[in-house]
Amino acid sequence: MMLFLARRTAALLVAVLLASFVVFLIPYVTPGDPVRKIIRSRVAGDAIDDSAVQALSAQLGLQDPLWTQYLRWLGRFASGDMGLSYTSRTPVVDQVLPALWVTLSLVVMTLAVAALIAVILGIAAALNEGRAADKAITAVSQAFIAMPEYWLAPMLVLVFALELSVLPSAGWEGPTSAVLPVAVLALRPASHFTSAVREGMLDALGADHVTAARGRGLSYFHTVRKHVIPNGLLPLTTLAAVWFAGLLGGSVIVEVIFAIPGMGRLLFDGVLNSDIPLAQGAVVVVVGLAVLLTTAADLVHGLLNPQVRMRHA
Amino acid sequence: MREGLIIEDLHLSLRAPAGGSSGSSARPVLSGVGLTVAPGEFVALVGASGSGKTMTALSVLGLLPPQIQAASGSITLGGTDLLAASGAELNRLRGGRIGMLYQQPKRMFNPRMTIGSHLAEPLKLHRGLRGRQARAQALELLTNAGFEDPERVARAYPHQLSGGMAQRAMLAVAMAGQPELLLADEPTSALDKVLERQILELIDTQRRQHGLGVLYITHDLATVSAFADRVVVMDAGRVQEEGPARAVLGAPQTACARELLEACALTRRRIVVAGEAPGLAPSRDILALDGVTKRFAKGRGARPALEDVSLSLREGEILGVLGQSGSGKSTLARLLVDVEAPDRGSITRTLPAGDGKDDGGGASRGVPGTEVQLVFQEPHDAFDPRMKLFASLEAPLLRQRTGTADGRRERIHQAVRDVELDPDLLDRYPSQCSGGQLQRLTIARALLLDPAVLICDEATSALDAVTQRKVLDLLLRLHRDRRLSLIMISHDMNVIRYMSHRVAVLYQGALVELAGTSEFFANPQHGHSKELVAAARAHPAVCSAPVACGDLAACAHRVLGANVAGSRPGTSRLLELVSAPDA
Repeated sequence: MMLFLARRTAALLVAVLLASFVVFLIPYVTPGDPVRKIIRSRVAGDAIDDSAVQALSAQLGLQDPLWTQYLRWLGRFASGDMGLSYTSRTPVVDQVLPALWVTLSLVVMTLAVAALIAVILGIAAALNEGRAADKAITAVSQAFIAMPEYWLAPMLVLVFALELSVLPSAGWEGPTSAVLPVAVLALRPASHFTSAVREGMLDALGADHVTAARGRGLSYFHTVRKHVIPNGLLPLTTLAAVWFAGLLGGSVIVEVIFAIPGMGRLLFDGVLNSDIPLAQGAVVVVVGLAVLLTTAADLVHGLLNPQVRMRHA
Repeated sequence: MREGLIIEDLHLSLRAPAGGSSGSSARPVLSGVGLTVAPGEFVALVGASGSGKTMTALSVLGLLPPQIQAASGSITLGGTDLLAASGAELNRLRGGRIGMLYQQPKRMFNPRMTIGSHLAEPLKLHRGLRGRQARAQALELLTNAGFEDPERVARAYPHQLSGGMAQRAMLAVAMAGQPELLLADEPTSALDKVLERQILELIDTQRRQHGLGVLYITHDLATVSAFADRVVVMDAGRVQEEGPARAVLGAPQTACARELLEACALTRRRIVVAGEAPGLAPSRDILALDGVTKRFAKGRGARPALEDVSLSLREGEILGVLGQSGSGKSTLARLLVDVEAPDRGSITRTLPAGDGKDDGGGASRGVPGTEVQLVFQEPHDAFDPRMKLFASLEAPLLRQRTGTADGRRERIHQAVRDVELDPDLLDRYPSQCSGGQLQRLTIARALLLDPAVLICDEATSALDAVTQRKVLDLLLRLHRDRRLSLIMISHDMNVIRYMSHRVAVLYQGALVELAGTSEFFANPQHGHSKELVAAARAHPAVCSAPVACGDLAACAHRVLGANVAGSRPGTSRLLELVSAPDA
């Protein structure tokens, strides 16, 4: 198990380093000189003074060789210094950390809601396989899995905020403000989870060892509780981690629509304003977290499945 | 005294699909099955696959699949009516008064739970034991199931056990509720003879010690001959024949009982076939392995899958390769068809390239890479489930880029007729065919490329005894007609004895013995070979009985010849089995 952990951690570090290098390169490979972009975003008028460009480049250290810049950037990053935002002239870290907290709470709430719905509906569907309840649950979850957030969000705002006036339409203050964004974000993972739980439960229900458990005299309820549900929910752990990672970056639309000061919003603003340190900081944090979560999911899967656990022991 | 299990006039039917008319459309699964198992009695329920054996057992437990219902009849155990029992009563019976063994023991354990926690369930449910008491009892059960290290087994997860260990652990679980009846549904079909004997002896010990009634379901008459008090033969959902083991095995009255017996009687027929084809003077080597070593696991100290194996196949020969699981049999097959390359040593193929025309075989042999063909163990896995069978058979021909569509169709139909199947079958999908049909089709597919050597890797192990016999006879006919050289890889002594000219024994990756078949079975040299032969002798292919019998041939002769010759002269296929029946 220790070797397994060490190996996964090494893989994780390599993945984060690779990602950081790609992120670092982005402003260099996109068309246009970042320095000119910065100046143009601040100075009115078309003409840009070359000496101003030179001066700013030197100030930002952009004339050094690429790898020096990368190592310097990486070193600063590792010590928690993500640089100064071009737009606000404040440390990026001070913007990223509160935003990360907001996004994490949003995503965790979303996943909790989605998983709760999925466990209830998925188990109900599987235990009633082929009957009306199963068909209804399956049909609804398949319809919702294809429903785009940018359509659903305005619809919900229209109904609950504007027509009924029961929930706030935007912002991130108090529990009520989380209801609509979480509802919008949770819908697709909930649908996905529901079908995964249903499939996992059906597999588990049809397993030979379940017949054997009944043959030992376990009641139907006891068998389902002890041998079917734990086995059937196993696939959900991996899936939830994948969605966790996806939602960290995928919450952009919802954060922008509902004006939530999270990572997605920060990234959006950073890109829009050519605020490269801000965008880079946000991306690296999101990517790092995503890789971490995927690894965590593998570990959890390993812990729950003796066969995987022992192969790496 | 307790009454034991009594099944009377049991009818099971397939529930008519919803929307169908009245009960008339329900298809019968069992029609009037009746049998009894007295306390302490060992009853063998024998029949080919699909005969209704398993359904009979499941109806005793009340665990029939939802689409099958008991239409009429009665099942009682010690006076309790099982068909009328409530859910709670059934739960007390299952695992309590009735223990069950299954065909695939490893799949019958929850992969997330240790063996110990499986044992804890019935101990708590049926005997109210918890904690330390339950643990002590679990260890005792495991010890009784033949484990020398019960603590370790109790801590083990199912995937850490071998098939034989899993079945013994399952026996411990089944005995946990101190049952009066043990239902065993082909518990040893997937195991080799040594393990099978071990399991049967364990069951028999429990029977004697606890007065346990045993209903042992199998398609293999050889298995039950030494243990069963009575034999019940089923076919097509009915009991065809029933009686003391000696009577049924000695003088089978019905066609299906004789067919089952005949299927197990592989030994005698082989002698006849060998006699028919005296021209088989094996000549030159066409496949030769020289000092071949293959290693998969990388770590130091890991045992190679095959180590320093030197072996040759002569032209026109049937070479049997015996070995238990993990002995390197399949690695050998993969090396021979060039799917894997040896780490050390060499494989020489001197195949009769281009002489196919002389044989009148049509297409010439020696299309590179197709001279050696492989037939696998699990026929259902050997075809793409989404392709019609015709497409699956056509695929290897398309790769050759020769011939027309009509020519290919003709060749495929011919190959399918060669394996005694109807070409109409080719329009079906694999899931619509039986295992026996598919196994014939894998052989047909291999033959399409006109190979010189056919390697059968446990090719009949997944089939029931009757189907197995038919497929083996087909292979023998092809061997004779096409001068096909065969390598039969199997753990089944009877198959090897029936088919082979020579026998090679693999043990832990090494070739430990290579000898002529009769010589090998008469006088095995290596310790492992002796063990295998001894196990096969304890359950001879044809034996009347609880009587131990040393001389197989004489025994077969006495049992089959004496009883059949008089009653049904000429018509019985059993007569083919014994070369000179006593009149």
